[in-house]
Amino acid sequence: MNMEPIIQIKNVSKEFKVLNRREGLMGSIKDLFSRNYKIINAISNITMDIMPGEIVGYLGPNGAGKSTTIKMMTGVLKPTSGEILVNGRVPYENRTKNAQNIGVVFGQRTQLWWALPVIESFKILKEIYRIDDKVYNDNLELYNNLVGVKELYSKPVRQMSLGQRTLCDILAAFLHNPSVVFLDEPTIGLDVTMKSKIRELITELNRVKNTTVILTTHDMGDVDALCKRIIIIDKGTRIYDNSIENLKDYFGAYRTLKLMFSKNPEDNTEENLNKIAAEIQTSLHKEFPSAENIAVCSNEEWIDIFINEDEIKMMEIMNFIQNTRNIVDVKITEISTESVIKKIYEGGVK
Amino acid sequence: MKIKKKTNTLRYYAHIYRMILAQDLKSKMNYRADFIISNVGIIATNVSGFIAFWIMFQNFPSILNWTYYEMMFLYGFSLIALTPVQLFFDNNWNLRFQVYSGDFIRYCFRPINLFFYYISEVFDIKGIGQFAFGAGTLIYAWKNLGLSVTPLIILKLIIALFSASLFMIAIMNIAAATCFWITNSGIVMVFMFNFKDYARYPITIFNSIFRFIFTFIIPIAFIAYYPSLIFLRPDNVPLLTYLSPFIGIIFFYISYKVWITGAMQYSGTGS
Repeated sequence: MNMEPIIQIKNVSKEFKVLNRREGLMGSIKDLFSRNYKIINAISNITMDIMPGEIVGYLGPNGAGKSTTIKMMTGVLKPTSGEILVNGRVPYENRTKNAQNIGVVFGQRTQLWWALPVIESFKILKEIYRIDDKVYNDNLELYNNLVGVKELYSKPVRQMSLGQRTLCDILAAFLHNPSVVFLDEPTIGLDVTMKSKIRELITELNRVKNTTVILTTHDMGDVDALCKRIIIIDKGTRIYDNSIENLKDYFGAYRTLKLMFSKNPEDNTEENLNKIAAEIQTSLHKEFPSAENIAVCSNEEWIDIFINEDEIKMMEIMNFIQNTRNIVDVKITEISTESVIKKIYEGGVK
Repeated sequence: MKIKKKTNTLRYYAHIYRMILAQDLKSKMNYRADFIISNVGIIATNVSGFIAFWIMFQNFPSILNWTYYEMMFLYGFSLIALTPVQLFFDNNWNLRFQVYSGDFIRYCFRPINLFFYYISEVFDIKGIGQFAFGAGTLIYAWKNLGLSVTPLIILKLIIALFSASLFMIAIMNIAAATCFWITNSGIVMVFMFNFKDYARYPITIFNSIFRFIFTFIIPIAFIAYYPSLIFLRPDNVPLLTYLSPFIGIIFFYISYKVWITGAMQYSGTGS
């Protein structure tokens, strides 16, 4: 099948001119007369193609340039160089036209009318986007089947919980059957039930309507539940663009084993814990020389042991430590998005 | 063809505005106390302004040949002309907060004129109280001045009020739009908004510098003085009065351009 990409980003860079502010009152006065700018590269030379119907996780630490890229794709920002095409159109050249074919949900900033019941907001959106009666009614029916939101419809947005509001914002973003929907941290600040509800909703909407979804998030759960492909950027450059399977193969074996040796705060001084961490690190390296990736550090009252299970099984390590020390509490955590990204950045995985 | 497209666009916007307005009013009816208190508030503000005006006239029989009722005419006329800016353009007051916090970005993704979309969000019912007070004052002055009431004069009054209202809207659009470039635009807005109080005086009481400023730079003389001359000094109407609808439209258009230019280059804060 030979499909045209729905979003094409070719060698796109974005520079911002930032005023170098001088310190103090005298500095401010000097700034008034001689402006001293520095150039910041928010995005440098990014290229990617996104196919219709894909759900792409767009990840990166804070300040990596995710929002900047999304703003360029929605036409709010103009790239300094390079070319962006969304639906075959240059977004910043005709922002209003582009808006007709995209949907945007920006985290906690609702785009619904604050004082109005949701259904009234939907009706206004129907007019703004000139949505067909049939399309509109079909969508409402679909929404009702998916999440059963009918009883929410008469509630003013202002009185909704964050979760309900996010849900409605997502529904509103899909209402005019856009070909691309941008979701910027849609599950931020939500409880577990709501998170999974929203993930299911996005999955279903994508499946039924074949809408392309670009999702930025810091929540690995979102990525696992939704994305087949992820793109990671850091400091404005693309450092990873591949399937999630590839990432899981690589990092799935990483775990953090958290151990606590005493509940007594007097034993858990920072100095003491650092000493214990150093001792464990030395003894582990001596005992398991093949496990090169083991790293031990103290983290509040815990000792964190970073393990690659391909090298060594976690239970072996726990048994070994248990022989010499008394463990009072144990936690095992998966590797977090942030550390995956950090790992990728350090390791340069492609 | 082009004209047809234009009227269609106009109908589209009018339709959407009506929808938003109807919904907004419906939801505001649920807060009757809010409606009553805000209107009582704005009427009280206007009454206190009026008392100051009345006390002044207890001491002077006239100001530069402008009698008590003529001054009252200007007063009422200016209040009505200042009603649209209050009723329909009040969201300009929130602009700087939205821009500063980054919330303004949420207006940027609709396939609709950004200025219209932003401004249509808020309808400030306080304006109704102001309109009622202004209309009462104007009618009272009209009667006491013994002015005639003919269909032609009513038409003139409506055109004069409409064009007069454009000036304050334009001033506030520009004042609000400064927030796209400077952080302290609140001061600019308050400063500009306070000029409206000078609109109710005949411009001839100011010296030539202020006369020039209030005519050509911050054109508040067009809010009441110039248009009122048609009714109060029909034998001696200056050219500027006749031009005021055109100047008003041009000025409004400029203010819209300034606003939209600022809004289009807005790109929000980090998130």
